[in-house]
Amino acid sequence: MSATMRRGWRVATIVLFALSIFTIHQSVELSLMDRLGPGPGFFPFWLALLGALLSLILFVEVHRTRPEGPAIPLMPRGPALGQVSLIVASIAVTAALLEPLGFRLAMLLFNGGLLFAMGERRWWAVALFAVTGSFGVYHVFNNWLDVVLPVGRLGI
Amino acid sequence: MDTLALLANGFVAAATPTNLTFALIGCVLGTLIGVLPGLGPAAGTAILIPLTFNLDPTGAIIMLCAIYYGAMYGGTITSVLINVPGEAASVITCIDGYEMAKQGRAGTALAVAAIGSFIGGCISTIALTAVALPLAQLALKFGPVEFFALMVVGLSLVIGLAGKSLAAALLMTVFGLLIAMVGIDPVRGAPRFTFGVEDLLDGVGFIPVAMGLFGISELMLAADSRLLKPISTRISSLIPSRREMRDCAGSIGRGTVIGFVLGLIPGVGAVIPTFLAYVLEKKISKTPERFGKGAIEGVAAPETANNAYANAAMVPLLALGIPSSPTIAVLMGAFIINGLTPGPFLFQERPDLVWAIIASFFIGNVILLALNLPLVGLWAKLLRMPYHYLCTGVLLFCILGAYSLKQSVFDVWVMLGFGVVGYLLRKLDFPLAPAILALILGPIMERSLRTTLEISGGSFAIFLDRPIAMVLLAIAAAVIVTVAFSPKAIEAVSEDAQ
Repeated sequence: MSATMRRGWRVATIVLFALSIFTIHQSVELSLMDRLGPGPGFFPFWLALLGALLSLILFVEVHRTRPEGPAIPLMPRGPALGQVSLIVASIAVTAALLEPLGFRLAMLLFNGGLLFAMGERRWWAVALFAVTGSFGVYHVFNNWLDVVLPVGRLGI
Repeated sequence: MDTLALLANGFVAAATPTNLTFALIGCVLGTLIGVLPGLGPAAGTAILIPLTFNLDPTGAIIMLCAIYYGAMYGGTITSVLINVPGEAASVITCIDGYEMAKQGRAGTALAVAAIGSFIGGCISTIALTAVALPLAQLALKFGPVEFFALMVVGLSLVIGLAGKSLAAALLMTVFGLLIAMVGIDPVRGAPRFTFGVEDLLDGVGFIPVAMGLFGISELMLAADSRLLKPISTRISSLIPSRREMRDCAGSIGRGTVIGFVLGLIPGVGAVIPTFLAYVLEKKISKTPERFGKGAIEGVAAPETANNAYANAAMVPLLALGIPSSPTIAVLMGAFIINGLTPGPFLFQERPDLVWAIIASFFIGNVILLALNLPLVGLWAKLLRMPYHYLCTGVLLFCILGAYSLKQSVFDVWVMLGFGVVGYLLRKLDFPLAPAILALILGPIMERSLRTTLEISGGSFAIFLDRPIAMVLLAIAAAVIVTVAFSPKAIEAVSEDAQ
């Protein structure tokens, strides 16, 4: 395990440990057992306890491991980081605009914007893909497949 | 009614023009998913679920099953043509398939893979027909005690074969089960872990989570490593010689047996049968030195095992309600969305649907064979599609799918959140299969356990009074103990398979 991988595992086990402890706390507030039998907190309580224990075991295991091999960066850098961030940001922006703008306009912006940001410079290709992937997809899903998609404040 | 009569009724239902069209569309879309590198069958099936929202359940499930086995076949095309497996089960096919392509025998490799897949798929479905009903009838005798034990066995097998660290696989199972706890308590109806968010009352949606963990994270990984670049390639003659067919006949037979048997065991996954089929062929070959240099048996055996596995893996789902791989878990999610609970009761309540689905496997295998050989050139052309179009198109369907499930933007956020979590976990090499299987099995497991404890007045001794449950729990314990105490052997199999 490389040094960067080791660091990543330590962070992951700490996060999962914290999540387990939080779940234990929440489960205790729900009923664990009552006269009818196990309550709503019973199963999550024992699961979270097991999760906390496993996180601790993994943390200790990883802590004891000596780092091997070159420290390859775990997270992307440069253009790769840009591409990964672009995917996350484009979904987040579309999710935020989906109901105010409606499916057609939100997806028109999503398709066109993402294609352009990823390097497509032929305007007609961007426009064709954006319109087909928004108005075309809406037509197929809404009218042919009866899938309800959001209409925005502009009525589109 | 005996099995053959039920199957005949199934054929009548599956062979209607509508259902045949769904099977055809499913096969085409599935092959497309398999062909496109960076989009696996689990993510592909999840993304395409919205297509089936308003279909009749039989047609919807037929189409989604066809997408599943179409994707399993489609992965072969890229393995042979460009040495890039479209999905994990086709990794092993790269070794000899790509060598054959370099020798100008790509068409022969693809034809043998298609014929092997067809034979493996059909024989496996015949065996499924024979095994599924008796197994479902046996499972009908199970109470909540046995069902809980059965699910523990399923999860233990998935955990056991998940990869390098048993603790990490167990932790991912716990993670999946905890996510499944969010929402209304299935026994008492009290809200849990919802933090006042109304959208969480229904729980965290399985499909958005699957899309995030497998679809979004796959695209992020591909963008990260810049794996996907347009590729061009050529195809030669598609007709194998008589000698080549004779050489691979035994491999197809052995691949079928390996694929079917391993398909019955939850957790094995599609990679291990293909790997074992390849290793076996190399071991028993009189000329093992040909392997790795374009041996046709090295394509026929794993590809047959792959498709035999894909069909056999439906047995635990249909007869017991246990998904054996992430893609089957997505299919189980599709059953649930359509108001159907896979398992023994489905054979009693909806025999028409179950047998139509089983019959559609035969039809789907014929469609795949008839469709894919003539269209190989077209699939190869798709590999030239630039990555940014593929990425944008897949993301579009992810957003559409996550939203349209409950007309909820919240589910799009859930998908994005789990996409980021999946990306980070995959970067760290945490196994995701146990998490996704635990997520779908969580509510059923909890209900079974709590009903069991209510029957016993809170005593776990009830598991010792029920022989079937005791045997099942002993199997689960044996799997975990074996993995814990002989990690090197398991690690070797997992790593070789990866």
